[in-house]
Amino acid sequence: MKIQVKMIGPLMYEAGFSEKEIEVPAATTADSLLDLIKVSRQRPKIVTRNGRAVAPDERLAEGDRIAISPIYSGG
Amino acid sequence: MYGWTGNILRVNLTTKTYKKEAYSEEFAQTWVGGRGFAAKILYDELKAGTDPLGPDNKFIVALGPIAGIPAPNTGKAVVAAKSPLTGFYGDGNLGTRVSEHLRKAGYDALIVEGKADRPTMLYIEDDKVEFLPADAVWGQGTYATNDWIYAKYGKGVGVLNIGQGGENLIRYAVVRSLEGRAGGRPGMGAVMGSKLLKAIVVKGSRPIPQADPANMKALGQGDLKKVGRIDKETGWSIQSTTGVLSFCNEVAGLPVRNFRKTHHPDAWKIDGERLNNARIATYGCPNCTMRCGITIHDKEGRESELDYENIGLLGANLEIFDLPQVGSLNYLCDEYGLDTMSAGCVLGFYADAIDHGATSGDFKFGDAERAKELLRMAAHREGKVGNLLADGSLRMAREFGHGSEAYAMQVKGLDVAAYNCKFIPGQALAFGVAAIGAHHREAWIITFEIKHTTRESYGPEKAAKVIELQRIRGGMFEFLVACRFPWIELGWSLDNYPKYFKASTGLDWTLDDMWTRADRIYGLIKLHFLREFPDTTRKADYPPAVWFDPANADTEGPIAGKVLDAEKYDGLLQHYYDQRGYDRRGIPTKATLDKLGLGREAAAVEKYARLY
Repeated sequence: MKIQVKMIGPLMYEAGFSEKEIEVPAATTADSLLDLIKVSRQRPKIVTRNGRAVAPDERLAEGDRIAISPIYSGG
Repeated sequence: MYGWTGNILRVNLTTKTYKKEAYSEEFAQTWVGGRGFAAKILYDELKAGTDPLGPDNKFIVALGPIAGIPAPNTGKAVVAAKSPLTGFYGDGNLGTRVSEHLRKAGYDALIVEGKADRPTMLYIEDDKVEFLPADAVWGQGTYATNDWIYAKYGKGVGVLNIGQGGENLIRYAVVRSLEGRAGGRPGMGAVMGSKLLKAIVVKGSRPIPQADPANMKALGQGDLKKVGRIDKETGWSIQSTTGVLSFCNEVAGLPVRNFRKTHHPDAWKIDGERLNNARIATYGCPNCTMRCGITIHDKEGRESELDYENIGLLGANLEIFDLPQVGSLNYLCDEYGLDTMSAGCVLGFYADAIDHGATSGDFKFGDAERAKELLRMAAHREGKVGNLLADGSLRMAREFGHGSEAYAMQVKGLDVAAYNCKFIPGQALAFGVAAIGAHHREAWIITFEIKHTTRESYGPEKAAKVIELQRIRGGMFEFLVACRFPWIELGWSLDNYPKYFKASTGLDWTLDDMWTRADRIYGLIKLHFLREFPDTTRKADYPPAVWFDPANADTEGPIAGKVLDAEKYDGLLQHYYDQRGYDRRGIPTKATLDKLGLGREAAAVEKYARLY
């Protein structure tokens, strides 16, 4: 299935892209998506699905928009 | 006493006199410094009802026991006074060499009283204080003023100055330093202007007293390098704070169109990625190895240094998705010495009020050229419109009527920072109960709300998180005085700060000891508020009414159909009051004040208002 992935802040340099559509296996979860993207697992981050928080074991769906962001403390 | 110099410099501009005043170790340990010193001094020395723009108000610069000593990120100073915007205690912090120089001159705080008889520059060099004419730069912007000062004294001195905004008593005029730094959102620049004080220049040459200078040096300088290394490894400062724009846009938390909308398809045009690509220079504060000031050429080709709040409020909030134009608006605010955040809220409110028929005018969202003109008019109080804009969104709303106060985006008169809390209850609470009005620097819990709780929750865990962050951010970092950025952004442990504190003062304080002081300072600022507004109610801790209005709900996106629930917000506010030990008005109870060590301060306020 195809999903849209948006990398935020410095994570886009780590992953090598800012935003793109990617093809992932049907059973991909929010957590397993991180293995498909070149981004450190150690680094604290927040993952959202269509603008809402997503649990690590939640299965993604065709057409989802996933954003992966570092933790900020405001501007 | 180590860590503190033990002295305050008191200057009177009316009489052109000054004196060095010693303070006690008990004072130091009770109030610590920075915001603590400023809040205590202003509480004791100002009467209720003092005109914020009159000679009886006092302008304070306050530092803390690690301020100015090389360590992560200690190059900041607190500026404070009674606010002409909010009508009670106001403050802010900014990066400046004044932090180091005032401490090296032998002072932890400066109190400026009275009013000069002509535009004045205060020059402080160790024990010497001079009252110098500043007529040559009166009417000039902050960049020209800075250049004039540097030409006289060289670039190494500490400088605080104001632009036309401060001179013309714009209620959200800030204090500026080091070309790109600004602080004191609630009109601290206007207080300087009301005293005809154009600039303060400080040069100090003595060592700052420290309990263990060798350890402080090794620890502080070593940790500065470590912080710089972590920044490089994580790449944080590639976009610095501006990555927040994309995050807010994703989670429907971006201010767009005077906070009417929460996200926008064109937001990417002014995001951190575009900003980094346009970067021509990077600036930062003293004692900082993670510099955050991304600088670009603005539309007119001038250097403009931007952070998230600037692009959020002067860009998205005005629906101006053109980076050089956002740079121009930011440049003008910096040049005039206006708070960029309030300016973005004021212009957004003006366009919204015109849209909704509350007033007439020719300004529309997206009109960058007219926005520039309006900033110039505001900074110079030119005509009726300039004067209206100069007084801030709450006063504008009261002038316009027609229910427009509901969408004047402010709390207690201070404009909301660039986070749209239409459906982020905990952050709405953080704005509601921030000590000085809707500032984000005291508590920012959006990530916590979205990641660790549910967005729908109004539970006590959110009130507890706001208090936890107020203690850290509005408390410890504001009284030590240091920048918070190494902590969350780079994961720099809070446990480092008691170590710096010990090397400087010799005192073995835990973080809990820090929180005790933080709670005391929050309690005292509440007494400042009560003294000025004795009839206050809990409504003073409510965010803007438009966030509760179902008609304002998003029609699409992650929070379509949702707004804050007023009844549930009130319950969340009560959780906060219960955990703080405040009464139903949001004022500390007598028992709480006793526990906080504020018995004397409580007795003083009872001349004006009741305590329970």
